[in-house]
Amino acid sequence: MGTLLEVKGLSVSYRRGGVAVRAVDAVDLDVPAGAMLGLVGESGCGKSTLARALMGVLPGNASIDGGRVALDGEDLTELTPAKRRQRLWRELSFVPQTSMNALDPVYRLRDQMREVLCERGGLPTKAADERAVALFRSVGLDPVRLTDFPHQFSGGMRQRAAIAMALALNPKLVIADEPVTALDVIVQRQVLDTIRRLGRDLGLSAIIVTHDISVVTYLCGLTAVMYAGRIVEQGTTEALTRRPTHPYTMGLMNASPDLHEPVETLVPIEGAPPDLADPPKGCRFAPRCPLALAACRESDPPPVVVEPGHSAACFRAAEAGALREAARKASTWTR
Amino acid sequence: MDPLIEAFGLTKAFPVSRTWRQMLRAERPRLKAVDGIDLTIRRGDSIGLVGESGSGKTTVGRLLLKLTSITSGQLTYRGDHLDRMKGARLRGFRQQAQLVFQNPFDALNPRFNIRRIVAEPLVNLGVPRAEHETRTADSLRLVGLAEPQRYLDRLPHQLSGGQLQRIVLARALVVGPEFLVADEPVSMLDVSVRAGILNLMRDLKERLSLTSFTISHDLTLVRYICSRTLVMYLGRIIEQGPTEEIIARPAHPYTKALIAAVPRPDVDQPRDALPISGAIGSAATPPSGCRLRHRCPYAFARCASEEPPLIEVAPGHTAACHLHIA
Repeated sequence: MGTLLEVKGLSVSYRRGGVAVRAVDAVDLDVPAGAMLGLVGESGCGKSTLARALMGVLPGNASIDGGRVALDGEDLTELTPAKRRQRLWRELSFVPQTSMNALDPVYRLRDQMREVLCERGGLPTKAADERAVALFRSVGLDPVRLTDFPHQFSGGMRQRAAIAMALALNPKLVIADEPVTALDVIVQRQVLDTIRRLGRDLGLSAIIVTHDISVVTYLCGLTAVMYAGRIVEQGTTEALTRRPTHPYTMGLMNASPDLHEPVETLVPIEGAPPDLADPPKGCRFAPRCPLALAACRESDPPPVVVEPGHSAACFRAAEAGALREAARKASTWTR
Repeated sequence: MDPLIEAFGLTKAFPVSRTWRQMLRAERPRLKAVDGIDLTIRRGDSIGLVGESGSGKTTVGRLLLKLTSITSGQLTYRGDHLDRMKGARLRGFRQQAQLVFQNPFDALNPRFNIRRIVAEPLVNLGVPRAEHETRTADSLRLVGLAEPQRYLDRLPHQLSGGQLQRIVLARALVVGPEFLVADEPVSMLDVSVRAGILNLMRDLKERLSLTSFTISHDLTLVRYICSRTLVMYLGRIIEQGPTEEIIARPAHPYTKALIAAVPRPDVDQPRDALPISGAIGSAATPPSGCRLRHRCPYAFARCASEEPPLIEVAPGHTAACHLHIA
């Protein structure tokens, strides 16, 4: 299967009080057609900024400093903003974190669907309404509810409606920012199953941005782990969860409990991500990494391929087996 | 051991908006957020309350702290009726029972420095000013902020989410309580930080011999810090027992679904359809009989006509489901 989205060396900066803060720094990322990629990391690691940059909806004080974002081989960063907006909904669409923000509280869902389907998609009203019914069915919502206002929907229903809207014009790629974080476990599972079914039935490609590694393992075949503006490890979810190679990924796995496995102690990652206005020298995770060597504080580790399709930006990637052994011990992470 | 808190038939009803017909008939429809629950909390217990949004779990927490009044039923703290408590006794209770707020980003006044935030309960309880500084600093040390002077003059936005959650804990602990109610204590935090806060809560419970009541929709969290678990659905307790027993052998179909719904950090996890469907209804119009029956694949005639009582399915483990009533 071919590459649908190809991100090469993408960098994004925010201007804050006269200084440039690089929130996304030289990110490379590929999404094959039909794949679901999970983008994981802590808050402030740049994952939402990356998602917004891919969508071309960065806030006014942010700018793309370099790199390319190619969708089916066409570089989106070279398009004029107007041209770019035309691609939204039709080629790539967005499910925001709080779906209340995506839905306008003063319009009925049907009118909001019409806006996307008619204005953006050029469908006549009647065809748009038929399509809206089909979309609501596909995400497990009763089409009768199309005449409701968003406030008449529960959180899970609003999230499904936002997904239905994102799918309206058959986009090639959907980017979902924390699509289930605000939901209860049962509703969360129902929404995850809806996305999974759409992936299976429609061959939907998606980027799922989340801080919860369990959500990624449930849903996504591919995973990219982000830390302080960089992708520190990426590969198949199977490889990353079974053979984590970057100590940050190991730490995230430690901190994610499995309800069906006995747990004695959860191991946190001490400290906080660095201030990106003044990132540390060398590996950005080194100040929090219990396995860091002197070299890690001197220069920046480039990503190395550890097995086909699995790379990690760590100087000690070759000793990953021994590091995993050490990282499993709680004493390694406490100082 | 003597119970610290006991509830019998605890009920909280809220008025809901009326239709024209109901107004004409002078009917006053009510929503029973908590509908006749019994509860015993002994000293040193760590109890978890799980359920979906809308199950009434936050209202239970507010009732236990006397932050809202009881509609009917009984609620006692060390044998005293909470609804009749006044004066010095009430002040004593306010000192002994504290709430750990849900969202540290919203719970703290952004214009107050950390000193003022943590000392506020001391002011409210009339603790002499001279003691504030040392007690505030001690409380910060207790929650793992080793150098209190580094934090006291800062404002909330200058701290990370994990540090703010520690401040929220320090504020609850500054008056030396014996009973803590924590409502979704880590739901706003990153997983990497969450683990640290949960470890801290576990450790504080031991060191200070606290009794804790933790409200969450997340069973992984409850399992980590609570030895006993209650499962709530539309105002009722539908299952309770030792936490590990409930996770290993859930008896109620709803509890089974809650457990099955939690995603796991394992690529080979089962991805079968959940045993229950649909969404939680409104407590204003609960179904007859078992409140879960519209969502339950095992429901039969009796579930519609009769509400199942809590019955013992194993020692100390009860569930309210007709499947377990032979």
